[in-house]
Parts: sequence; C-alpha cells; structure tokens
Amino acid sequence: MNDWPRVPGFVETKEAYGETTLVVEPAELVEAATYVRDELGFRFLSDISPADYLGWGGKGVSGYIGTATGRDLNLPMTQGLQTLPTLKPKRFSVSYHVLALREEAPRLRLQVWLDDGEHVPSVVRVWPTADWHEREAFDMFGIVFDGHPNLVRILMEDDWEGHPLRKDYPIGGEPVRFSDAE
Amino acid sequence: MTIAPERRATRTWPIVGPPIYEGSRIPANIPTILEVPRELANLDDILPVNFGPNHPSTHGVLRLVVDLDGERVVGLRAVIGYLHTGFEKNMEQKTWWKAITYPPRMDYLAFQLNELAFVLAIEKLLALEVPEKATWMRQLMSELSRIHSHLIWLGTAALEIGAISLLFYCFRDRDAVLDLFELVGGQRMHTRYFQAGGLAEDIPDGFYPEARTFCEYMPKAIDEYEALLTRNPIWLERTQGIGLLSADDAIALGQSGPVLRASGVDWDLRRDEPYLAYDQVDFRVPVYENGDVYDRYRVRVDEMRESVRIVEQCLNRLDRMNGKPWIADDRKVVLPPREELHTSMESLIHHFKIVTEGYRVPEGEVYVCVESARGEFGCYVVSDGGPKPWRVKFRAPSFVALEATATCMHEALVADLIAIVGSLDTVMGEVDR
Amino acid sequence: MSADELEQYLGITTLMRAVAWAQTKSMWPDQFGLSCCAMEMIAIVGPRYDIARFGMEAFRASPRQADLLIVSGRVAHKMAAPLRQIYDQMLEPKWVIAMGACASSGGMFNNYTVLQGVDKIVPVDVYVPFCPPRPEALMEGIIRLHEAVQAGIPPAYERRAVAT
Repeated sequence: MNDWPRVPGFVETKEAYGETTLVVEPAELVEAATYVRDELGFRFLSDISPADYLGWGGKGVSGYIGTATGRDLNLPMTQGLQTLPTLKPKRFSVSYHVLALREEAPRLRLQVWLDDGEHVPSVVRVWPTADWHEREAFDMFGIVFDGHPNLVRILMEDDWEGHPLRKDYPIGGEPVRFSDAE
Repeated sequence: MTIAPERRATRTWPIVGPPIYEGSRIPANIPTILEVPRELANLDDILPVNFGPNHPSTHGVLRLVVDLDGERVVGLRAVIGYLHTGFEKNMEQKTWWKAITYPPRMDYLAFQLNELAFVLAIEKLLALEVPEKATWMRQLMSELSRIHSHLIWLGTAALEIGAISLLFYCFRDRDAVLDLFELVGGQRMHTRYFQAGGLAEDIPDGFYPEARTFCEYMPKAIDEYEALLTRNPIWLERTQGIGLLSADDAIALGQSGPVLRASGVDWDLRRDEPYLAYDQVDFRVPVYENGDVYDRYRVRVDEMRESVRIVEQCLNRLDRMNGKPWIADDRKVVLPPREELHTSMESLIHHFKIVTEGYRVPEGEVYVCVESARGEFGCYVVSDGGPKPWRVKFRAPSFVALEATATCMHEALVADLIAIVGSLDTVMGEVDR
Repeated sequence: MSADELEQYLGITTLMRAVAWAQTKSMWPDQFGLSCCAMEMIAIVGPRYDIARFGMEAFRASPRQADLLIVSGRVAHKMAAPLRQIYDQMLEPKWVIAMGACASSGGMFNNYTVLQGVDKIVPVDVYVPFCPPRPEALMEGIIRLHEAVQAGIPPAYERRAVAT
C-alpha cells in the first residue's frame, strides 16, 4: 500500500519477512490507531508486544570478521555476534499487532519507540482488548500508558519492585548446586 | 493471606463514560471490570465474595472478586498472576533450540500447538524449507492436540456444571490421544517433537494403524458425549442464553477461536490465513450465532469431529511418504543423524557446535500465529543475530478470553459464573505465562 | 516365627498400627491443581488409573477435609501465601507430595518468580520427579507414602523444620 504516509504521525514503514511495520510518533498513536481501525479496517488487535533494546548489539562482534581491533579474548567466540545488528532509535519499542478480518487476513505491526520515562497514550478506547495487554506491558516493562483507566500491576504482586522483563532486571532464581557439600 | 491494597497509577476517565459504540455491553469505564452500579453500591447490601485462587471450578489458579446482590452477580474483577512463571525472561537466557522446550509448558492442554508457533517463527527467521512429511505430521499432531484440549475442556466444564460422568469418558479418550503422543515422542505430555527444520525423529511404523484405530473410534465417542449433553434438558437450562457475547463485542475484546466463532464470526486462521498444509485438506469451520455457553460447547464438539477428519486426511498423505526425510538437511541448524556421529568428523563438529553454542538466527522481528485450541496463539520473536532470542512474546488466547468475563457476566447468577468462566476455556498457565 | 507373622495369624495388632492402616486406606487428597501436573493428577482419577483402588478418589475441595496435599505444578511467589494457607487449614495428620520437577526444585524455571522448591514453605513427604510425572509415577509416590505411614514414620512436619 502506498498511502501509509496518510496515517497520522507517520514516521516510516518497513517490510521484512513478509510483514509490514508501520512506525508512528507516540504522541499521535491514538489518531493513528483510530485511522487504521476505521479507514483501513484493522478492527482486531491481536497483541501488544513491548521489547527492551538496552544493550542491543552490546555483545560486539566475535572473531576477526569486521572488527578493527581483532578478536576480544575476554569475550569467548561463542558469545559474540557475527555482524552488528542495526541500531535502534530508542530503548523501548511497543508493537501493536493488528489484523483485519477479511480475505487474505492482512496484518500490520504498528510500532512506537520511546525512551525510559516516556509515556504512550493508551489505545483502550480504540480497542478495548488493549486493557490487559497494556497492564502487562506496564507490569513487565514499566511503560506508562497515559489515559489507561486502571493501570496497575497484573501478573506480579502489587508491591513488587522493578519490572522483570527489562534487560537490566536480573533473572533471579538460585544458583544450582550439584552436591550436598556446602 | 494478605492482599495489598490496590494502587492505581492513573484514573482520568469519568466513572461511567459513554460506551465504545452503540449497543455494546462492554463495561464503559474499564473494559475488563464489572463495577457495581452506584444505586446498588449505596444500598449497603452488596456481598463481596472471593472466588479462588484455589477453587475447584476456576480451571487452575484464577481469582475472581465477585460482588453479589442476592444471587445476582453485579460486580466482577479477575485477578491473575498466580501462576506467573517467567517464560519470556527464561527463554531470553536459552539458546534457540533449548528455548523450544518452554512453550509447551504454557498452554499445557494444547502443547504441540504452542511448540509449533515458536518453531514456525524460528523457521521464518531462518527461511528454512521444511520437508513435506514434517509439515503433514505437524498438522496431524496439532489436530490431535486440539482434540486433547477440547476433551479436557469438555470433561472439566461439564463436571463443573454437574455432569460428572463426562469427566470419566473424556479422560478415557484423552488417554487414547496421549498414547499416540507417547508412541511418537516418547512422553505423554510436552513431547517436544517439533524441531526447527522438521521433526525430532521419524514417525514410528506402529503409529499409522494406531492412529487409524483412533480415527475410527473417536467419532463414536463424540456421538456418546452429544447423546449425553446436546439435548439434555438440565444441560440446556444451564447453558443456553448464558454468558452472551455479541459479535462486535467479541471482536472489540479481541476474542478468537471457539469463543469468536460461537458469537457468529466466521473466522479461522487455519482457513483464512493458511499455514502448514491446511489449504490442502478439506474441513468445515463450525460457526454458531448466539454467543452463549451452549454455542461455545457446540463449536468445540463440532471442531473435534472436523479435527478427526483432518487427522484422517493427514494419515492418507503420510502413508505415501514412507522413507521420505522428516527434517531439513541443513547441518548448521539441524542436528546430524545419530549414526553419523561415529563415522563423520564434520557431523561431530556440527553436533557439538549446535549443542554447546546453538545456531544463530538472522536479525529481525516476526509475528507468527497459529489457530490453537483456544484461538489465535501468536508468537512475536526478536532476534539480534545471536544464538539466543532477544525477546519472545506470546499472544495467549486465554489471556484475552479472560478479558471477556466482565462482559459475559452481565445479569448472571452465581451458578452461571462457573459455567461462563468454564466456557471461555482458559488455561491459567497460558494466561499468566 | 516373627512378631509380624504372629500378629498376622492371630489377628491382633496395636492401636497405632491399626490407625496407620486406616489412614492409608482413606487418604483424601486436596483438590489443588496448579499447572501441567494437575492434568496428570486428574488423570489418576480417570478410568485407566483409577485411584479409587486406594480409597483416594474423593478429592476434597476444602482443605479442612483433606489429608494429602499434592502440589501439582510450579508455585509462583504470588501463589506461595495461598498455598501455605491451604496447608495450615488442613487437619493433622497431613502429608504433602511435591509432584513434578517444578514443585520439587523449581525445575527448568530458575528465575525471579518461581519458588525454587515447594519445601521452602511446606514440609514435603514425597517428591515425584519428571516433567510432568506420568500417572504411574504419581501413584508410585502415593504407594511410597502409604508404606511410610504404615511403617510408622511420622509426617514430614514432625521431622522437618520449614522456614516461616
């Protein structure tokens, strides 16, 4: 489709793996969401998938390929990447996977980018199903959705500290001991 | 048990706002919470009841906070997270091929389908060709999983409404399905039979006759269930006209699978967005109009029949594929055959590299979805080009189905509450992930 | 002739033994399903495995009527408090089976939310391994528990301290 730029807050579109990603400005997300729902027919919100890109590509390139300084002996070969991934504009992305219930089942990924502390407007008024998805994103990533009627933790306890799926949150658990000797 | 007071971060809307559109029954303020009407709340006659997290009828560890006015449910709030397991965080720490072990534990009734979604996502990123035999076997296993899931749903949901004998019939037949899984994968549940590139092992010879016996037997068993329930007056009283969900509300609330089809929306990813080889088999998508508990039951029972038909068609295809490869021949991704390890140096190196370091998956983000027994099961995967997933996010259909409880619960009685929650077919492992 | 054989022939016994025998014949489990293992726990009620042979088919919804708590699945920290409360509500003597790898040790979920072994909050009598255990494995655990009870081994809460 060539009229993506008519979507409010349009930034860019990407085509990869047969999927269309439409990046919009966070400030105009609700207008963009309403536009794709009403004008383009994407009435069905499948999922809201946030992702944290802290430390993206930070593992560096392993081996001799593509590095100026050669192989870093402190980083084992197996831990590094083969090529540096494309850098991301900001720390968090929030992807709204929407679907149109018609022939060929067109899907679209509506994406916004934000830094830590930035807010996104809530789309609960556009797609009511976003309620719990946004609460989960708040719980797991600490992304605040402005205008959400009930933005409280959903999976973790109410008094939990931190947001577990952030990359700077340790995985926790206990170290494994393989014998009884302490 | 102490329950921390609720902390609301923002509350900017009026308590009662306009509905989302004309005729919508979705609660106006918060779509997932049924709030006690103000004229009732002031009467001081409301009884709050805590239902769960350990209640026999909650399908696991769901907690509902219900406000009762006599027998009527006037307020409802679902509290989840009692089974939060941190799948998404754990999978970020594992290599791609180890991470395949995790998704089956999420939706433990339709485990093969979860595995399938994740494996398809890896294959999409790798652009890996899967042999035909693997595709058909995957399809067969997915349909068996669907039967397995619907059987457990039927058994437990009927038990909750009082039809106890159904539980025993359904678990008898569930064991028959699990025997087939065991024959193929060596384990009853969580077989981890799908690999990136195909199947973990070839299909054993004894599988085909056993599966054919099952296909002959299963429709008769479904007839038995229908004879017990479909025209049973008690069952009709308990299910018809209960838990109504209109087509528009179902779409707005993101419902999928049997719940959506029971509301009259003719939508099935197997037919409308074919994956595997669903475009080459003949099956019908059952759709019912009323959107009540009874129609959800009808959809699921009909789906079981259709699944048996698909299994038969898969068997007919697979019969002609004896000796064909069951996994792609890509040594960078697929483990080499066991016998080669003793004779070939390269195979040993490849095996060692895949097991210790894991294979690398090209950079990118994909969203892959399959029609699980509960609806659209999606898998959003981000890779940075390394041996581990950067981010995995699952779109859990039961998580979304629970959002509809408040809408379905309008004017319901306490006894209907059990039937309604049961009819949405939620698996808490998948809700909480 | 040993004392056991003599007892068997004469049909006499001690009160303790008679009580222990009776306890193993109607050990009612609590209906406490958590995750995957719960499905296999229900399966032992089904016709193929038929737990009624042990007089245990009466899964009680109320912990006050139950003698045996089968922790069937992974326990999140959020669920730990309700679990302990259920255990506290059960009347003595009471037994606990940790079913599956997750309940026994956290299993494959070594992370921020899963309790690394349910024995941190309740004393466990029998651990059943595997993921999920087959119904046969669970029944093996139940039989082992019965043997322990008949042999006069006290329940775990009398032998083992648990962090509170």
